[in-house]
Amino acid sequence: MVGRRFRKSPGEIVIALFLFLLAIAMIYPIYNQLVLSLTGPEFIAEADGTTLWPRGFTLVTYRSVLAIPKVYLGILNSLLITSVGLVVNIILTSMGAYVLIRKDLYGRPVFMTLIVITMIFEGGLIPDYFLMRDLHLLDTYWSVIMYKAVNPYYLIILMRFFAGVPPSLIEAARIDGYSEMRILFKIVIPVSIAGIATISLFYGVFHWNEYFRAMIYLTTEAKWPLQVILRELIVSLEKAAFIGAMNYQRAAGAATIAFKAIKASLIIIAILPIMAFYPFVLKYFVKGRMQGSVKE
Amino acid sequence: MSDARNVLRKRIYRDRFFYFMLAPVIVFFIIWHYLPMWGVRIAFQDIRYIGANEWVGLKHFKMLFSSPVFARVFLNTITISAMKIGFFFPLPIILAFLFNEIRSAGFRKGVQSVIYVPHFLSWVVIAGVFISLLAAPDGAVNKILLFFRIEPVAFMTSTKWIRWVFVASEAWRSIGWDSILFIAAINSISPALYDAATVDGASRFQQAIHITLASIIPTIITVFILNMGFFMNAGFDQVFNMMNDAVINTVDIIDTYVYRVGLTKGNFSLGTAAGLFKGVIGLFLIISTDRASRRISGEGVW
Repeated sequence: MVGRRFRKSPGEIVIALFLFLLAIAMIYPIYNQLVLSLTGPEFIAEADGTTLWPRGFTLVTYRSVLAIPKVYLGILNSLLITSVGLVVNIILTSMGAYVLIRKDLYGRPVFMTLIVITMIFEGGLIPDYFLMRDLHLLDTYWSVIMYKAVNPYYLIILMRFFAGVPPSLIEAARIDGYSEMRILFKIVIPVSIAGIATISLFYGVFHWNEYFRAMIYLTTEAKWPLQVILRELIVSLEKAAFIGAMNYQRAAGAATIAFKAIKASLIIIAILPIMAFYPFVLKYFVKGRMQGSVKE
Repeated sequence: MSDARNVLRKRIYRDRFFYFMLAPVIVFFIIWHYLPMWGVRIAFQDIRYIGANEWVGLKHFKMLFSSPVFARVFLNTITISAMKIGFFFPLPIILAFLFNEIRSAGFRKGVQSVIYVPHFLSWVVIAGVFISLLAAPDGAVNKILLFFRIEPVAFMTSTKWIRWVFVASEAWRSIGWDSILFIAAINSISPALYDAATVDGASRFQQAIHITLASIIPTIITVFILNMGFFMNAGFDQVFNMMNDAVINTVDIIDTYVYRVGLTKGNFSLGTAAGLFKGVIGLFLIISTDRASRRISGEGVW
């Protein structure tokens, strides 16, 4: 071990040091929010961007913030949109991918062209909005769930995974009288579980982080996902405006908490689900990124 | 003729279950993607709330191009995009090179897993984090500046700095993630090339230039043209979440203009016209960059 270390060139040590500092720079701003969210009310006034440790460690900020109706409703809405969205995404994307890997399917080039065109040209915000209005989907969860039910990039990633399933396996099931749907769900998907995991992660992050369509399609505040609530908090400058006069009574705890601590705790809550999965799923993300080779 | 038709009919009948499975996907694309494309026609219409919309030709485009606000918005879009490509684009490539110099796989993996994190955060979260990080006078950056006796700067509300905040936050979010493609390209270089170069007495720096860089140039070109294809986007989510009244004239881009003027102020036709104008330029950029890519590397982006 010592011998190996001696063989490291000075250049490599400088680079390693630089990369280490870069990693700190990446993580520190988030860590600082965590510190602010955990700092006790009596110390929060002195806490700032360079505070390294939460003085007067407390969870009171989280308890108060989670008691604000629009915050816990926001979390529930985000969970609902993400989970229902994922089911729709996975079913539709895998059905599409399973059919489109069949090179001898009549009309396949037309279908592929139809799908690829949507990657480079879109109607845009206002036509999208009018479509939702005409479909009577405004102010329904479906407006946010359905508008990216199939992402063409992820469809193509999944096609690559499905193409790797041994044809003999599918052929054998067909001889056994399996229907195509059953082949897809009992054989192709279980065999390509890495592919399903990869696109589930991409779709999952997409739904969890979605705010803009929710903001313009959902007019009822009680339907807003967490990101919309967080955005409102970040752009609005007043705590009272955020908590809302109506809720002051129920959110009495939050009224006594410093605004920067409230912001910080909500940022951490919005990051938490992603960070909880992150260590286990990183390799799928990286693999998906390399396979996708296209942006996003 | 009828024979061929029969064969085709049999083929379609044989594959009927596949068509059933594909149908919902195609229906999705037609409803959620192609209907809005048809909806773009309101750029050429005046909206009537009673009766059919009235076709007005290029009226809204003429209005758009004679508007000083749109001229500024267009210029902002180009400036912000160009700044991002000019100053951010080389960074993931440099990062990939630095990783290549680290021989300890554990250290490399550890650092990589940390620097990919910001990519998975929403722009709402990133805006919140950056507003706090750059706050004057008690954000981390201003605290550090103060330590060096530099006056605090209100970065988020400074017209001079806000675009650099975009470049910096883009770098923070994407430097790691974007480096993956280049790291993958570097990993696929044959080790024999390095061995041969070492035998020939090439230094590590010479190897980095003559082997590593030379080998990944096609990847660099591909990623660059791909970025050029999305040039007109300039990063809506980033701008939308970081903009404020103090800097709006400096950061307003086409997409935020479409939202503000088109959707919130109800100038639907004008907003759609602006969006369509952007879309057509984007389409032109994508097609020409794809052509360029085919000419340079013999392989299209699409």
